[in-house]
Amino acid sequence: MQLLDIRNLTIELQTSETAIRAVDRVSFSLKEGEVHALVGESGSGKSLIAKAIVGVLNERWVITADRMHWRGVDLMRLTPEQRRKTVSQDIAMIYQDPSRCLDPTAKIFNQIAETLPEVAAKGFFLKRNRERKDRVKALIHKVGIKNHEAVLDSYPHELSEGVCQKVMIAMAIARTPKLLIADEPTTALESTTRAQVFRLLKSLNQLKNMSILMISHELEEIVNWSHGIHVLYCGQMVEAGPTHRIFSQPRHPYTQALLKSLPDYEHGLAHKEPFYALKGTIPTLQHLPIGCRLGPRCPQAQKECVVAPKLSKHHGHSYACHFPLIKDIK
Amino acid sequence: MQPLLKVQALSKTFNMRAGIFSRKKFDVLKNISFSIGKGETIAIIGETGSGKSTLAKLLVGAYSADSGQILLENNTIENNGNRDAQCRYIRMIFQDSATSLNPAVTIAEMLDDCLKFNTDFDKTQRSEKIGSTLLKVGLLVDHQQYYPHMFSVGQLQRVALARALILDPKVVVLDEALSSLDPSVRAQIVNLLLKLQLETGLTYILITHHLSLVRHISDQLVVLNKGEIVEYGATETIFQNPQSKVTQRLLSC
Repeated sequence: MQLLDIRNLTIELQTSETAIRAVDRVSFSLKEGEVHALVGESGSGKSLIAKAIVGVLNERWVITADRMHWRGVDLMRLTPEQRRKTVSQDIAMIYQDPSRCLDPTAKIFNQIAETLPEVAAKGFFLKRNRERKDRVKALIHKVGIKNHEAVLDSYPHELSEGVCQKVMIAMAIARTPKLLIADEPTTALESTTRAQVFRLLKSLNQLKNMSILMISHELEEIVNWSHGIHVLYCGQMVEAGPTHRIFSQPRHPYTQALLKSLPDYEHGLAHKEPFYALKGTIPTLQHLPIGCRLGPRCPQAQKECVVAPKLSKHHGHSYACHFPLIKDIK
Repeated sequence: MQPLLKVQALSKTFNMRAGIFSRKKFDVLKNISFSIGKGETIAIIGETGSGKSTLAKLLVGAYSADSGQILLENNTIENNGNRDAQCRYIRMIFQDSATSLNPAVTIAEMLDDCLKFNTDFDKTQRSEKIGSTLLKVGLLVDHQQYYPHMFSVGQLQRVALARALILDPKVVVLDEALSSLDPSVRAQIVNLLLKLQLETGLTYILITHHLSLVRHISDQLVVLNKGEIVEYGATETIFQNPQSKVTQRLLSC
């Protein structure tokens, strides 16, 4: 079943002079039980898309979309109150910076208990309190924290970044959401904790049939277990499709550059040999080039690239480029 | 070959608060020894709390060790906690260059301060040196008058590298300096580092948890666990045949 279906999502920032288009007509859809990844560098608008889905952007951002359907319901047409209800029931988000997103003035126990759904609270308050404690304990065990008493009784600043991240995940899965949006869940973690977090997310996906939208700038982290990848550059969707096809046959020069900057996938690269890297830097939002935004950095750019290319689709693999690396035979 | 940097039996203990009056000792590093030759890269990996960053700070002299020696080209620069005041031969780049640069001064002033405190160059020599260092890291001479907020993340990392290189160091310590960067920017910075190493024979001490990068650019590998070296040797041998459990677990994920 189609969970999320977004068509031409555009997010603009209103400034005193002009409107800056931070996300430019992005479309994607997500089925139940699938893991999808949004990949792109900082400033490419990945987090903005996630925040637009959850609806936590403030009023300076103007969000327009042809449709933004959540299980058949258009989120854009709901009243804020209805939308908040739908989203809080079904969608959960893990934010980027765990130790900064937790409330520094409250203990971990209270923060997790706050997110528990208020259903099936039977009996007197003593019994309800005990039940609440048990459920918090169960949640925190589920995310792989063993010494629950010490962790639940501490403030966020007393815990390490990895534990904070796990607490955030516990809070996110408390309501057993249908969709979990994970915004760079492992940037601050070292490799062993990162593997734990990925194992946890993977098991949630397989056992609970939870869909996951992963946001990351590291391709290698997600290659093994995501069904689809969407590559963003400067707010434009440059390539999207099934993971294995993106990795084996990238069509867009930017995707190719991303793949080539990974030491693991560029076979035949000798020890200490320089990587393939695109020249220049990512343009700032105030000075976006017209047309294809990769244009000034692209090795294959030609005159036509000043017009934004349309998304072409081929066997579920879509890309936006006038001169794709592999041409389709029609 | 004579090693450039030699670390012998380095130990560090912190005093931690245990109660209101009592204190307990916490051994962060125990008996660390390794050596690196000129133009080589040594990578240090380990879990959080294994003492990687403390080791980096000891090497650059931000902390002083409790016991042990650090030798640079056979000159003892640290002996049982007594540090030679020179800071120009071992320099460091931090994880987050956006917050480790002073936002209130221009790049020229910042680099000028490094030269003022550590060399006896006069004014023209200093400005020449600043210009040539900026060119070396792939920036322009005009970038001198910029403030840190005017740069992108990748350029800031280049500025941080310029601040490290301006004193012509022999060793540069990179404490997670590459992990927070985007892939394409990281590829550029890695290329720059490799080019500088090839041209000037710089030695890098790389502290990171990005394993494929470690495998690509480092010659030797130190695996730390709870303040002790569990494995030390050539990178490729350890990657192919890890001996200890800790290393196997680190490398398997």
